[in-house]
Amino acid sequence: MPTLTIDQREVTVPAGATILEAAERLGIEIPTLCFLRGYEPSTSCLVCMVKLRGRNGFVPACATRVADGMQVESETAEVHQVRRTALELLLSDHVGDCLAPCHFACPAHMDIPLMLRQISAENYAEAIVTVKRDIALPAVLGRVCPKPCEKGCRRNAADGAVAVCQLKRFVADLDLASQRPFLPECRPDTGKRVAIVGAGPTGLSAAYYLRQKGHAVTVFEAQECAGGRLLREVGEEELPRDVLDAEIGLILAIGVELNPSSRVEDRQTLDDLRNDFDAVLLACGAVDKSTVESWGLRATPRGVQIDKDTYQTSVSGVFAAGNAIRGKGLVVRSVADGKEAAAAVDTFLAGRPASAHERAFSVRIGRLEDGEIDQFLAMAGSAPRREPLQGLAGGFLSEEAVEQASRCLHCDCRALGNCKLRRYGSQYGADPNRFRGERAAVRQYADHPLVVYEPGKCIDCGLCIQIATRHGEPLGLTFVGRGFDVRIGVPFNRSLEEALGKAAAECVAACPTAALALKKERLRSELPILGQR
Amino acid sequence: MAGTLIAPATEDRRPTADSPHGQAAGVDLSFVDQAVERLGRRADAIIPILQSIQQHYRYLPQEALERVCQLTEITPAAITGVSTFYTQFRHRPVGKHLISVCHGTACHVKGTELVQDALEHHLGIHKGEDTDADGFFTIQKVACLGCCTLAPVIQIDELTYGRLTPSMVPDVLRDFLDHEANGAAKHEHRAVSPSGPLGEIRVGLGSCCVAQGSGKVRDAISETLAATGAPAVVKRVGCVGMCHQTPLVEIVPASGPARLYSRVTPDAAPSIVLENFRPKGLLRQLAYYATRMLDRLHSDETGDPVERHALNVRDAQVCAFLGRQQHLATQYCGQFDPTDLKEYQAHGGFEALRRCLAEFTPERIIQEIRASGLRGRGGAGFPTGQKWDAVRAAAGPTKYVICNGDEGDPGAFMDRMILESFPYRIIEGMAIAAMAIGAGEGYFYIRAEYPLAVQRITEAIGRCREEGLLGDRVMGTDFRLNLSVKEGAGAFVCGEETALLASIEGQRGMPRLRPPYPAESGLRGKPTLVNNVETYALVPWILRHGSQAFAAFGTERSRGTKVFALAGKIRRGGLIEVPMGVTVREIIEEIGGGVAGGKQFKAVQVGGPSGGCVPAELADTRVDYEALTEVGAIMGSGGLVVLDDSDCMVDIARYFLRFTQDQSCGKCTFCRIGTRRMLDIMDRICSGGGKRGDLEELEELAHTVGSASICGLGRTAPNPVLSTLRYFRDEYEAHLAGRCPAGKCKDLIEYRINEKCIGCTICAQRCPADAIPMTPYARHAIDLEKCTRCDTCRQVCPAGAVMIQ
Repeated sequence: MPTLTIDQREVTVPAGATILEAAERLGIEIPTLCFLRGYEPSTSCLVCMVKLRGRNGFVPACATRVADGMQVESETAEVHQVRRTALELLLSDHVGDCLAPCHFACPAHMDIPLMLRQISAENYAEAIVTVKRDIALPAVLGRVCPKPCEKGCRRNAADGAVAVCQLKRFVADLDLASQRPFLPECRPDTGKRVAIVGAGPTGLSAAYYLRQKGHAVTVFEAQECAGGRLLREVGEEELPRDVLDAEIGLILAIGVELNPSSRVEDRQTLDDLRNDFDAVLLACGAVDKSTVESWGLRATPRGVQIDKDTYQTSVSGVFAAGNAIRGKGLVVRSVADGKEAAAAVDTFLAGRPASAHERAFSVRIGRLEDGEIDQFLAMAGSAPRREPLQGLAGGFLSEEAVEQASRCLHCDCRALGNCKLRRYGSQYGADPNRFRGERAAVRQYADHPLVVYEPGKCIDCGLCIQIATRHGEPLGLTFVGRGFDVRIGVPFNRSLEEALGKAAAECVAACPTAALALKKERLRSELPILGQR
Repeated sequence: MAGTLIAPATEDRRPTADSPHGQAAGVDLSFVDQAVERLGRRADAIIPILQSIQQHYRYLPQEALERVCQLTEITPAAITGVSTFYTQFRHRPVGKHLISVCHGTACHVKGTELVQDALEHHLGIHKGEDTDADGFFTIQKVACLGCCTLAPVIQIDELTYGRLTPSMVPDVLRDFLDHEANGAAKHEHRAVSPSGPLGEIRVGLGSCCVAQGSGKVRDAISETLAATGAPAVVKRVGCVGMCHQTPLVEIVPASGPARLYSRVTPDAAPSIVLENFRPKGLLRQLAYYATRMLDRLHSDETGDPVERHALNVRDAQVCAFLGRQQHLATQYCGQFDPTDLKEYQAHGGFEALRRCLAEFTPERIIQEIRASGLRGRGGAGFPTGQKWDAVRAAAGPTKYVICNGDEGDPGAFMDRMILESFPYRIIEGMAIAAMAIGAGEGYFYIRAEYPLAVQRITEAIGRCREEGLLGDRVMGTDFRLNLSVKEGAGAFVCGEETALLASIEGQRGMPRLRPPYPAESGLRGKPTLVNNVETYALVPWILRHGSQAFAAFGTERSRGTKVFALAGKIRRGGLIEVPMGVTVREIIEEIGGGVAGGKQFKAVQVGGPSGGCVPAELADTRVDYEALTEVGAIMGSGGLVVLDDSDCMVDIARYFLRFTQDQSCGKCTFCRIGTRRMLDIMDRICSGGGKRGDLEELEELAHTVGSASICGLGRTAPNPVLSTLRYFRDEYEAHLAGRCPAGKCKDLIEYRINEKCIGCTICAQRCPADAIPMTPYARHAIDLEKCTRCDTCRQVCPAGAVMIQ
């Protein structure tokens, strides 16, 4: 039995074992995309590269057999750089959106496509969970939001955006009207106490998410009741008071304490809060420069100065968000700020090093070429965009909501949570735009009853070919062409349905990306991935 | 004919309106049944079956492929995968005539792109299409027709046109159509009966000679001999190597010195014959001259064409060309009829094999090869003896010996010449190798673009079998060896040994990870020896003259000789064999006669797409594996392309990268996508869109692709880029600044007419884009919007008034 070292750690494995197998014994995770146990290594993706001491160049761990005395380098900067380059090259030729355009358009980055699929499946109980993961005041926003998400909707370019905002409101209203509205679970008490100054959209949102982390949260509000600028700037016609109160009520219901009629007057009040609490978040709305400075904080022309990655002010333990830092902004921006600031405060309280607010990893198609949207339309509900029958103020009825939600084009990836390319791309810090080239056409083949084939997402690993062959598919799959233009195809241009009879499910399971994916999937949230938020 | 990818038509099939993709209704499939009957039903018969179908139908009708799957073990997945992998195969019908435009290195530096543009423009073929609206002409790019000394070259069906310029395109097409209309007259030959001492008239019939018209010269000579009864025989011989002088005719009288005639035309042939051999009988002589005179009166021929072409073998130029050479692999070049076994044997042929069988043990043979210092001539330079030893030591009763004749480097045609000219020598070398390693079966893998090589090797194998030099009892001993030929199908990557083996097995030519090396697990999983053509060709010489005689040539680590194809901007291009250790300068200046046309020698590209360039200041670098690698080039298979100051090094690097990128099998990420992204950056730089940081990004990516690709193709693909970045970084930087110093990159240059213009309107008449208005007696001007930078105006201007800026 040969003995070798990987990163100076010794391991003995049976003769004939691969470096990948030896690494597994040591608990070293070498990334692979094209490798699947039980099948021939295709040495195609080359993400599993390692370096052998005393040899030029790199070798794939999946197919290189160990030898006695071999010295392997795996977790070194040099090897990681090669793996990252492999990932970046694959990503440069990977046509798709991990996350849908609406995800990026929404300041709160709500998982809109998932909510829409849950609505079209009439799974409202999970839809509210999806909504409230990112938006603490959906019934409010469903009435006051200027809907940036709908401007980002791909269907805007065809027959009108999906009515995302109304649908979110539908979900929230339904929840509020139910006997037991959704209350999120809170983590066990951490013993940490947070003071939030201001019960407007920012403060309420922050309170909601900080409480869920197990912290004790007290909101100090200068006015007699919570709501902040929602009370001052929005008419009751647009936002009925009972809707606002009910939604605030659900935030307080998880154990958030509200201290009305208490104003932060000066530096002393703030210092007192700092002494009494482990962290302070200023969510007081727009403030002028002199007020900020009177609190002993540095100011910008718009308000409180913060580190935009961590929401920290110039004083340790004091955070600020919402219009307190922006002066003026959309309500949805404030709600998003509250959520992001809550995450930053939580990081601070846990004693973890303050880190930049991580963006979710995503490849993006960008602008579609003429005709490409037809690929998406072909698989979505064909109904036109409609206003609610009972008028805008009334909102959607259930049947309307289902019809409208099924207009979603499913721009987000079908394999969001199990795409290995995304997982390792994120893990290795790959930049999908490093090698920008001419983009291949967006194609989606949906002729198979179970499976969607998106050649633009294929990394040409050939696993599906091997699997179809092993299943004895009479037609099967094959590589067509060669070089950069090689793709997986069905012999004689026949249909995917003919090619994949028995093997379809296994091919989908083995596919390292979403090139082969099930038509119906992802009714559960797969976000976040790798430390997002 | 060299480079003919598609065999001649048997019938006229054009795409029609109702079958746009050429699925001609009701294809008669009986041919498929016959082909399968002939070629077998096993899965590894796939490539020969596809070749046969394509030869018959001129493309691969889907019905025919489906029929193959019904009749054989070949699956639909396999037939689709294989038929789309190799560029030889077409899934759509071709036009009536096929124009092959050579994109070899020599053609590239001499402007083949401009010729192709002119062809497309003239035939009205739009971007992305390859056939004109009438389905009359199909244009295809070919990697290299191997006529590098005639560059740029195109081939229309079987006619080759060389030394083209864009402005010649209409004339060439007209000439071709005239030739078609007249119907190429085939001459009847009568054999000359040998009686009394006869002289020999040797006509070079290598592919490049044929391309240059030596076939017609031979016909003319035969005709003259038949008509006059002159006492000589015509003998076809292999390549002489002096491609810059083709067609070559050597007169070897029964007694007296030989005379060499260069650039002989069919018209000159009779004079050459009659000058050297007196016809029998005065009457016939007179009668012959009389008819020739009448012929001349009816045609426009003037003067005596012979004088211009006479070359003395002792002529200084010839001496310089041949002087530094040492012919080992190419021994007796230009003297043998390539397929005449008796002649080969009369000159020591099969002597080495006989000795090995009679006197040597396998160990002794390998020892001799080891001692000679022979290293693989395919490019990498692995010690041959060590390789043989590894195969010999590998376990198992079944072993194979394979000759890698998939020479694919554009600008290299050494192996083709050796295959065409010395088939028996390679067979003998392979037989010795087979005996040494214990193989009983072997294959020649020869690229499909070399039909003449395939034909000669096939013929030679047949002769050897008849004479007991191959077969179950080689030379009457117990040694058994059967050889056969496998034709490639248009995939450069199949020169990589594991891809070559996959191709012989009837699969897509995808390389696989080594180890295991073929020596351990090769063809059909058995130990296999794969050597290059030239390597085998050297083996008989080594065993005949001894390892020490071989090792006496060359340098410490690079022994013996190396064959090179010398082309590009050189006065005397051709095939040469030199001892290792000569300097690049000696090759270029002494053998090649220096750079042509009064230009400045800038660099020589060595080793083709896997190699790099040796700049002028390093011209004293020796031809030696290590010395070349040290300066960033490689020995490679032996293409030497000389570049002068009018060549853009960035463009050259991009040219090679485009080639390898196009030839990538597509298996591994670094090669499939990495070379493409490198090319994207190169394209950007050449078109004026380069950005700061592009060179660093290019360099970093090049290093990663070079160190992490799976096979040699990917690992060496960045070399041309890295080597030009090393020596000519200033040219890259000039491109980033929007300037192409050599004036080659179309997007960075403009044509202007200066005050020297005499207003003759020739440029205006010849401009294919109508970019120059007709202004007689006034200075012309170029409309830069319309100008396609085809260079025609500059070439035709009698006053030298067209400038590139």
